[in-house]
Amino acid sequence: MLRRELLNTTAFRLSVGYMFLVTLAVAVTLGSAYLLTDGLITDEVDVIIDTELKSLQDRYARTGIPGVTDEINLRIDSWGRIGAVYMLVDNNFAVIAGNVTHWPFEGMPAENWPEFEIAAIEPGRRAVHPVRAAIRTLPGGDHLLVGTDISQGRRFAAKFQTAMLWGIGLTSLAAALTGFWFSFRLARRVGDVTGTCKRILAGELGRRLPVAGANDEFDALAISVNDVLERLEDQARTLRATFDSAAHDLRAPLHRLRTRMDALLLRSPALEPAVHESIESALREVDHLQRTLAILLQIALAESGAPLASSAAVDVGELASELAELFEPVVRDRGLTLVDHEDSGAIVQGNRQLLAQLVTNLIENCLKYVPAGGQIELCVKRLADSVCLVVSDNGPGLAADDRMRAIQPFVRLGQSSRPDSSGLGLSLVAAIARLHRARLLLENNEPGLRVVVELPLK
Amino acid sequence: MHILLIEDDTEAAKFLVKGLRESGYSVDHAADGREGLFRATEGQFDLVVTDRMLPHIDGLAIIQLMRQKGVTTPVLVLSALGSVDDRVKGLKAGGDDYLTKPFAFVELLARIEALSRRRSSVPDATKLKVADLDFDLLARRVTRSGREIELTARELKLLEFLMRRAGQVVTRTMLLEGVWDLHFDPQSNLIDVHISRLRQAIDRGSDRQLIHTVRGSGYVLRAED
Repeated sequence: MLRRELLNTTAFRLSVGYMFLVTLAVAVTLGSAYLLTDGLITDEVDVIIDTELKSLQDRYARTGIPGVTDEINLRIDSWGRIGAVYMLVDNNFAVIAGNVTHWPFEGMPAENWPEFEIAAIEPGRRAVHPVRAAIRTLPGGDHLLVGTDISQGRRFAAKFQTAMLWGIGLTSLAAALTGFWFSFRLARRVGDVTGTCKRILAGELGRRLPVAGANDEFDALAISVNDVLERLEDQARTLRATFDSAAHDLRAPLHRLRTRMDALLLRSPALEPAVHESIESALREVDHLQRTLAILLQIALAESGAPLASSAAVDVGELASELAELFEPVVRDRGLTLVDHEDSGAIVQGNRQLLAQLVTNLIENCLKYVPAGGQIELCVKRLADSVCLVVSDNGPGLAADDRMRAIQPFVRLGQSSRPDSSGLGLSLVAAIARLHRARLLLENNEPGLRVVVELPLK
Repeated sequence: MHILLIEDDTEAAKFLVKGLRESGYSVDHAADGREGLFRATEGQFDLVVTDRMLPHIDGLAIIQLMRQKGVTTPVLVLSALGSVDDRVKGLKAGGDDYLTKPFAFVELLARIEALSRRRSSVPDATKLKVADLDFDLLARRVTRSGREIELTARELKLLEFLMRRAGQVVTRTMLLEGVWDLHFDPQSNLIDVHISRLRQAIDRGSDRQLIHTVRGSGYVLRAED
């Protein structure tokens, strides 16, 4: 899991690219150094051979074959160039003079700078040394060969090559290790940040991003983000306090009102039946007011962007089937039918009470608008990354424009507005859906209304 | 039965004290959190009814401090904070029940009765009996005068709830909370329909009705009419 995540990080891709670049750069540098050095060694050898050939040719021009032979023998015997090879052969390649026993080629070689091997004795062992040579054909048809033992240069080149390959290999390895370490570290720090952000979104408002104390750009970022979080938490706290005092200031007088009316009802001797009845009806209004207030506060709280509190694993299928069972007798009393189908294991993180309220509101909405003989369908499906809750009916449904408006507070659609409906039902549904980061869709059920709530699994 | 009411809203408190005394309870009133905490921990009360937002020490802190001192008196929280979360916090702090303001006085009475009887009830009984109605909790089997009654799982739960509180008024809200674990009020008369179904199953063919409707408050299951 971690490995796959690491492969997907920008840091990892960057470091792979970086590794290739470094390897390429080192290979080009060392490679050209090798080629240059090799060329330089060969050039030096060639210049010397050329010079010697020229002087021997001059000698031939002045004194002929015997002069050249003398000169060659002299150079062989004296302390001249180390590793020098001389040879003078006639036009049948029979040796006239030189320090090589026989002509090393089959006839005349085609190259300008032919190479051949000679047996040599090194301390303790026999060896074969490479020789680079040039050949000139003298005006008499004889051939003059001057060469140099290039074994040392070759050895140097081979060592250089080995060193170069090691260099490239080690550099790539170092670059790869650095890159891996770098991307691992980066992935871990970014992972820490992502993880913390997720937990904050899930409601742990008090969490902060980790500051490593390295004083680097990550710490700077974390500190800035933490400042933002601090302010957000402050705002959420203020907002919460405002809601609480609003709730308190509105509910306390309602409470006094209700308590007084209750006291009147309990008074003995009992009130006149007509007075009793009107107090009871006033009490119902108080309760209605209280319910509307509760819903409004709930919507306001949800819309304020405060995270979902008291969140836990909720089996939406189980909840829906319980509510279907709870509503079934009422639905039947109204002359409707309720069909439900739930997948098992449709579990999301959420608040059971709020989700129950959401389903309840949707079913009650159907009860309100679907005429007798109609059908309500409740369905919970488990999808790959979400749980899909659908409440649909075959009632009158809503026009496309109304479907958009229906989730706004206090919107009543059609003429069938009842005194007991506040028009908040669907907007509370929308608020609860938003709190759960769910997608809410109102669709045409052809005929009827189809409300889809897609709750994300994570 | 001795109740301590901690409530800073003096007018509401006056009516509550009066109503509770008329219902036969002896009531002490504390008007702020400090006094409330002192009396809740020092005095001998059968039940504490406390408001949540109080001067000096708030209701939840009172409960926490009471529990820390080992006082196990049941506590009913009254609160103007009614969101799902507030309720959870109230119960987490050690409250035994939570009632959102404004509430019907009968609701408060029913809750007080339920909390005061909870101490004396035997929670691990395996058989419940009211008149000729028997409930074998282990076998989940219900009989009336020996005649077996078929009930759904939910109806069994509903009946168990009522039988455990036999003789007490049980409100619709208490049933929604206790049987369906729903802490909000649906607008439909759901509970009435479920009760009437249960009543049909239990009382049909019997000359004595056991499930009674209490006008304006809820239901009671009892032998006497």
